Amino acid sequence: MLEIKNLHVKLEDEDKQILKGVDLSLEAGKVHAIMGPNGSGKSTLSYVLSGKDGYEVTEGSAHLQGEDVLDMEPEERAAAGLFLAFQYPVEIPGVGNMTFLRTAVNAQRKARGEEELSAGDFLKVVREKAKTLKIDAEMLKRPVNVGFSGGEKKRNEILQMAMLEPKMCILDETDSGLDVDAMKLVSEGVNALRDAGRTFLVITHYQRLLDHIKPDVVHIMANGRIVKTGGPELALEVEQNGYADILAEEVA
Amino acid sequence: MGLPDIKTNLTDARLAAQPVPQSGAWLAAARDDALARLRAMGLPTKRDEYWKYTDPSTLTEAVAQSADVFDAADEAPLYDGIDRLKLVFVDGVFDVDASDDMAPEGVTIERLADAGAADIHWAKDLYGVLEAKGQSPVERPLAALNSATATDGVLIHVTGTPSKPISLIYRHADATSDATLHHVIKVDAGAEVTVLENGPAAARFNKCMEVDVADTGVFHHIRAQGRDHERRAVTHIFGRLGKESVFKSFTMTANGVLTRNEVVLELTGDDAQASVAGACMGDGAFHHDDTVFITHDAVNCESRQVFKKVLRNGAVGVFQGKILVQPDAQKTDGYQISQSLLLDDDSQFLAKPELEIYADDVACSHGSTSGAINEEALFYLRSRGVEKGTAEDLLVLSFLAEAIEEIESDDISEDILARLEAWLMRRRG
Amino acid sequence: MSLDVEVKDGVDQETVDAVKELSGTYKYGWNTDIEMEYAPKGVNTDIVKLISEKNEEPEWMTEWRLQAFERWEKMTEPEWAMVSYPKIDFQDQYYYARPKSMVEKPKSLDEVDPKLLATYEKLGIPLKEQALLAGVEAPEEERKVAVDAVFDSVSVGTTFKDELAKAGVIFCSISEAIREHPELVKKYLGSVVPVSDNYYATLNSAVFSDGSFVYVPPGVRCPMELSTYFRINAENTGQFERTLIIADKGSYVSYLEGCTAPQRDTAQLHAAVVEIVIEEDAEVKYSTVQNWYPGDEDGKGGIYNFVTKRADCRGDRAKVMWTQVETGSAVTWKYPSCILRGNDTQGEFYSIAIANNMQQADTGTKMVHLGKNTKSRIVSKGISAGKAQNTYRGLVSMHPKAKNSRNYTQCDSLLIGDKCGAHTVPYIEVKNNSSRVEHEATTSKVDDEQLFYCRQRGMDEEEAVALVVNGFCKEVLQALPMEFAMEAQALVAISLEGSVG
Repeated sequence: MLEIKNLHVKLEDEDKQILKGVDLSLEAGKVHAIMGPNGSGKSTLSYVLSGKDGYEVTEGSAHLQGEDVLDMEPEERAAAGLFLAFQYPVEIPGVGNMTFLRTAVNAQRKARGEEELSAGDFLKVVREKAKTLKIDAEMLKRPVNVGFSGGEKKRNEILQMAMLEPKMCILDETDSGLDVDAMKLVSEGVNALRDAGRTFLVITHYQRLLDHIKPDVVHIMANGRIVKTGGPELALEVEQNGYADILAEEVA
Repeated sequence: MGLPDIKTNLTDARLAAQPVPQSGAWLAAARDDALARLRAMGLPTKRDEYWKYTDPSTLTEAVAQSADVFDAADEAPLYDGIDRLKLVFVDGVFDVDASDDMAPEGVTIERLADAGAADIHWAKDLYGVLEAKGQSPVERPLAALNSATATDGVLIHVTGTPSKPISLIYRHADATSDATLHHVIKVDAGAEVTVLENGPAAARFNKCMEVDVADTGVFHHIRAQGRDHERRAVTHIFGRLGKESVFKSFTMTANGVLTRNEVVLELTGDDAQASVAGACMGDGAFHHDDTVFITHDAVNCESRQVFKKVLRNGAVGVFQGKILVQPDAQKTDGYQISQSLLLDDDSQFLAKPELEIYADDVACSHGSTSGAINEEALFYLRSRGVEKGTAEDLLVLSFLAEAIEEIESDDISEDILARLEAWLMRRRG
Repeated sequence: MSLDVEVKDGVDQETVDAVKELSGTYKYGWNTDIEMEYAPKGVNTDIVKLISEKNEEPEWMTEWRLQAFERWEKMTEPEWAMVSYPKIDFQDQYYYARPKSMVEKPKSLDEVDPKLLATYEKLGIPLKEQALLAGVEAPEEERKVAVDAVFDSVSVGTTFKDELAKAGVIFCSISEAIREHPELVKKYLGSVVPVSDNYYATLNSAVFSDGSFVYVPPGVRCPMELSTYFRINAENTGQFERTLIIADKGSYVSYLEGCTAPQRDTAQLHAAVVEIVIEEDAEVKYSTVQNWYPGDEDGKGGIYNFVTKRADCRGDRAKVMWTQVETGSAVTWKYPSCILRGNDTQGEFYSIAIANNMQQADTGTKMVHLGKNTKSRIVSKGISAGKAQNTYRGLVSMHPKAKNSRNYTQCDSLLIGDKCGAHTVPYIEVKNNSSRVEHEATTSKVDDEQLFYCRQRGMDEEEAVALVVNGFCKEVLQALPMEFAMEAQALVAISLEGSVG
């Protein structure tokens, strides 16, 4: 699904290298998790993949189903099936959540040469999906993320994901700021979308999210590189012993 | 202290080209007073502090610059779906045939040209009176010019609650027209009215509207200024608000080479509420100036000023807003926000948001910001697959939303929104 | 004594009395009885020449002054500020007054009139400096502040000169600088505030009698705080001082200014000019605690303070920070400004302006962004009490070439009592879209709940007000150097003593 090779990224404005050769191969239908200490480059990876300004790729590549995503505009990446659930979803005052969703859904459909959803059909689909995420009509009416609680914001991200039906989903610390119930709700939303044709990259600090969203592969990231890859047991090991052992191993 | 020669000459030249029309006794007296005011002040020049950011020369010069009439065939007419009483002016002249019958329930409407011929009229207590009051502490000579020389307009006396809005439509047909209109609106206690305005009016347009809202009266005003790229306009609204009255005015402006909209309100009754809002989209040769002066002279009143400007290709947006709280106007709640979104490096935003406060138990605030589109929000939208242009449009609309929300009627705000969307679409080509 | 303060609910008589007492709280109202030498009253070319002569100035300087005077005669007094005061008769002032003992310039402290030294001692200016004038160095642990003391029209003495000279820093009176460092003065004087800048600055250019001069050479971090202490003592005498600070490439200096005057029934004029030149990578902090005599509760007497202060960040990455605590003067007209000419330059303005009784303050700043990536920040806290009028007036200008620049402005006004006024007059001019300008302003009264909360915890009303107001001003107080912060905090409390109402 997504092939990342030797990805080197620095900040555009500063001479600071953040990613120093990331290699990742994410197969279709699998859930990959990335864990790692603060500042290891996890969020940068998600931003670079989705095309945020301010980063410069100095080396390496990223291909989504064979297509070079690094050359694309952010909206082209989205249309190609890449979705980022933001760690800090952006508030957009004055734009209704519903308008936002509909604009996004139809923009992607248009880009893929599909017909736009009619207002009626769209409404039906949104209501149904919103219900499973316990997002009420009121929340759909309010401006995008404005005045939403942490949990509401994250649920809203998953609703967008459900509506846009991407192939490659990146979840950037979706568990941050969530209580146990909200985490369960969000995880169920994610699990409902698990599918043979869809890949997840779950970025997290904690094992607890992975209790709910069971990963197939776990990667440990440190200092701009993937330093260790293993099965779900790797996450448990981190939970028990922290990163110190793994990092020490790496140095050794 | 004599007036500088430059002002005297400017005023003389203008009055020679635009003389005071003949009227009946009451109006003739009002015009004389206005003329005396005008002569004492003289027409403004760009050296006047109050015209620091807008050059008034094309508004004051004797002969108006011509303005091509813009072919608007491809535009959906504004307020189309709204049942309203239409009063049409073409190049500043009331068009009886194009207008609806002027006798709906709850309101009497007369043409200034007709009522002005009478010896006495209820409007004598308002015509030029609110304007004269609004000349202090800041002089507004173009409004005095209007009171002295206006050739047409309507006098609206609202006694009840008319079933539909009164819609003033200003058509522009002659490329050289120079129109001066003066309206007086009197809203009785407990009465309620909505006044709509739209259209470019003339090559040069000077309009003055005096609005007296009695205790518990309600006045809604929604105005759209647009279309003709070359038209120049100066407008004044002078409002007096009684106890527990409501005054709300919203203006959407797109196009027009020069627009100066002044709103001067005095909250004289306790618990009155005022809102003045504007959304403006400027592109290219476009200079838009909102100058607002709200005086709180009673207890527990609320006033809001919400102005948003989207500017590109060298467009200039100006905001001069003031909240004046008089010593006894305790418990005043004054809010003022002026913001501009500059879509490119050529555009300018010039603002002077002022507070002048003489009472202590008040909560007044103003904010002003200027900048480019929010990159974070743009990225968020694009990451959801929305194409860059569409995403920008959406953010422009979201930027304007706070001003549009000031409109009370959902039907009208949707209509305004649709117009703004169409404007954005057209710009994107 | 009668004061028509309306007594509102919940305000006890004690508070009202305290308000009435307020005019008596000016601590520096005494005067020094000293024999003075005056130039004749009034201003004309002869007076200008006389001042120049007294200062033993070279001809170019005399010419410079005369040209300024010629300009000034053609100018009219500005009227745009929200201050009103009786028309000033510029011919009914003394433009030059110096203690007789200063006619022969004292070569060391020993020669300085003990009465003058006693004056500064009484004002609380650290007296160790006097010894230091004579060349005795302070113990290591003491924080050193070098002082240039200006008494009416002349500089009485400058401390720590030798120690500063070791670091290459020139700190002396401007009259000395004109004589000793003409090349520096010629190059920089009037380069930030041109002779024709405004009515008061032009007058100052013609008649300034003394002031301070600072030059910090490239790469030097000035080893101590520098300060000027201005004292107006003589009656009917205007003080026109001129300060010129030059921070050469990569240097740093922190400068403090303090001012007081005796309590007199007639108003006195103070029209100063401060010019600061900041070259590449240099930084200047300029802090003022202005405590001129504010006049009495009926507005009698006090200093009319018309000051032009401007810093020019000429080189890239130059930085300037103005901090002012304005508690004095009957009329204040003052806008310390920043010209952000170089790229990546920064200007900051932190201000507390307190106006009580009949005081009128019209003060603020100008941030003129010319270079790329320039940043400015304005934090203004205005407090009005009594019948005072307090206005913030400011300009933020983003020129077309000032790409990617930022301004943030916060203007808050606090009203204490219902007879005073608080006004905000900002001008915002944005001419490019990569810059972001944010302006916020609020006006409110002292929060009753906060006061109640403090009083419930055992503070009396005055303490509570002082606490709340100090909290309101905190951001600015924190920007002051340690030497001034304490004084300013106390001054805030004194200026408002009992003014709850």
